[in-house]
Amino acid sequence: MIQELTTTRHNELIDPTLQIWGWQIPIYLFIGGLVAGIMIISGYLVLKGQYKKNVFSCFYLPQISLILLSAGMLALFLDLEHKLSVWRLYTTFKITSPMSWGAWILVIIYPVLFLNTLIRIPERFQNVIPLFDRLSAFINKHPVLIKNIGILNMFVGTLLGMYTGVLLSSLGARPLWNSAMLWMLFLVSGLSSAAAFVHLITDDAYERELLAKADNAFLTLELFAFGGFISGLLTSTRVHIQAIRLLLDGSYAAYFWVFVIGLGVVVPLSIQLLAVNHKIKHSPVAPMLVIAGGLILRFVIVFAGQESHWTSGWIR
Amino acid sequence: MIAPFFKYGLFGDDVSLVVAFITGIGFGFFLERGGFNSAKKLAAQFYFTDLTVFKVMFTAIITAMVGLYYLSVIGFVDLSLVYLTPTFLLPQVVGGLLLGFGFVIGGYCPGTSCVAVATGRIDAMVYLGGIMFGILVFGEVFPLVSNFYLSTPMGQITLPQLTGLPYGLLVFLVVLMALGGFVGAEWVEKKMASKKAGASL
Amino acid sequence: MSLQVEKHPQPYWNPYVAGIGLGLVLLASFVVMGRGLGASGAFSSLVTVGVQAVAPIHVAHNEFYSEYIGDGTKSPLKDWLVFEVLGVFVGGFISGSLAHRVTKVVEKGPNISTRGRLLFAFAGGGLMGIGAKLARGCTSGQALTGGALFNVGSWAFMMMVFGGAYAMAYFVRRQWQ
Repeated sequence: MIQELTTTRHNELIDPTLQIWGWQIPIYLFIGGLVAGIMIISGYLVLKGQYKKNVFSCFYLPQISLILLSAGMLALFLDLEHKLSVWRLYTTFKITSPMSWGAWILVIIYPVLFLNTLIRIPERFQNVIPLFDRLSAFINKHPVLIKNIGILNMFVGTLLGMYTGVLLSSLGARPLWNSAMLWMLFLVSGLSSAAAFVHLITDDAYERELLAKADNAFLTLELFAFGGFISGLLTSTRVHIQAIRLLLDGSYAAYFWVFVIGLGVVVPLSIQLLAVNHKIKHSPVAPMLVIAGGLILRFVIVFAGQESHWTSGWIR
Repeated sequence: MIAPFFKYGLFGDDVSLVVAFITGIGFGFFLERGGFNSAKKLAAQFYFTDLTVFKVMFTAIITAMVGLYYLSVIGFVDLSLVYLTPTFLLPQVVGGLLLGFGFVIGGYCPGTSCVAVATGRIDAMVYLGGIMFGILVFGEVFPLVSNFYLSTPMGQITLPQLTGLPYGLLVFLVVLMALGGFVGAEWVEKKMASKKAGASL
Repeated sequence: MSLQVEKHPQPYWNPYVAGIGLGLVLLASFVVMGRGLGASGAFSSLVTVGVQAVAPIHVAHNEFYSEYIGDGTKSPLKDWLVFEVLGVFVGGFISGSLAHRVTKVVEKGPNISTRGRLLFAFAGGGLMGIGAKLARGCTSGQALTGGALFNVGSWAFMMMVFGGAYAMAYFVRRQWQ
């Protein structure tokens, strides 16, 4: 399907509005980014020795990531045209195909996340599978292993986060996605969603404070990434300018400015800046807005991208 | 004349929604600043103990009225391009009456209930549910009341057109009336406060 | 380091200052958009979308709903008032948080139960919904906006709102006092 899309059909005279990708892809990209961010954060906290605490969000972060990732994979699977051929992705590796990369990155992620869960097996699952308990005991005897698991999680998480953006950038047919900033944008957005998520679920005051601060940094970076993304396309060719204007003052402007920039970045950033400076109380509103904003960002980029064309510049 | 900007094509429909959002933030901000997120404060208007509703509302009306008049006199805004809801006198009178009942029973009006919900007022959430139920009822019975809804049409008409008085004179009169009202409101509030103090002694 | 911030709600602004702020927002809306503020219209769009999801044919045959549907090329929620009201929520929340006034509470007088107050709130909302649709606007769309524009219907409406509320006030005084 991608083959066809990139060779013959990326032209509005054939398909005026080509909406091949529905809700599944944005959901998958969002969850992918979120899981990537959670892996980086939980890896960092493991590395910092937070796992020695009794109450620690990282004890259930890897478990949550496993569930989330599986939901994302399900969304991706639902999008496939030939569902029964899914196994074929794993019979080959194409160095030039981001799809191939993605399929294999996902194969690495599961074991890495699983290793992370072994640092502290949840009570309910202790003594269920003796092998896991023995592995967990072994890991805990060697702190250097724990640190390496942390580093591995951060590294693979970064790969996954970048990959969600690269996947779109590599589709030359859609000018909106022809930006070298897209992977940066999705990585930072995934990190900010993940920081917000941990902020939302953690019971630990230290972690909440730390992640609120980290989230502010990620949101600020995200604004810069948006700046780079927009200015990059605006200074490019005419089709790229038309593509980015879909977001700036075209049919996606309301969603982009109001939900992605306003409610997704600027409003929560202001609330959290006041909160970390102890001007106002921490509330779940800001992190919830950040997560919703990250989700809507994927929808806007995927849908607007599919509406951007190479031909519209000179046909009209 | 260059304004209203939207009517002169400075930006399109899509950007107008972004403008709407920003305008709404300002609207909600000042409503909350004035105390319109509290049903007790709003309802106190109708027991003469706290006339904030009257004060905020008429300050806002005369500010916008004088500002708009000034901008149209200097030729910045084309007044005829500012949208005016057409008048249907009778349904609006009846609607106003119902709305007044609803105001003192429910404690909010639609705009103020939004800021009340945003600041955690649970009664306002229920109230908002009530509004939507009311709209649903109105929508369902609309075929039966549509004759009344469209009765006594007067078109887009303003007080200067109706009375024949000059626009500027009416602005002046309304400002005068409002200022008089403010003085009266302060007096009433003081009187009610001393009466309450006297009653509790 | 104390992480819990316990701050008392700050007093509201002077009503005249808040009123001038509100008036300037209204004026800005006139100048930029050529229209005033509103609130109830957004909820009509929301209700229309809800009814449309359940009974699309019913909606198409009803003049009230079809007015909000328009020509059907875009969602009724992609509407000026809907986005404006969204902003109202955000602006109210920002202002409330800055002044430590965001609290989960039921606003009522001491002589009424919470349940009673919520029943009144729902009934009042219902009356308000019907009244606002009959009058083609609510306190924001008619009284405030139309008031500043000398709209004849708006001034008649405004008088009736105050009249109706004062007339009813005596009967529901137990709710507030």
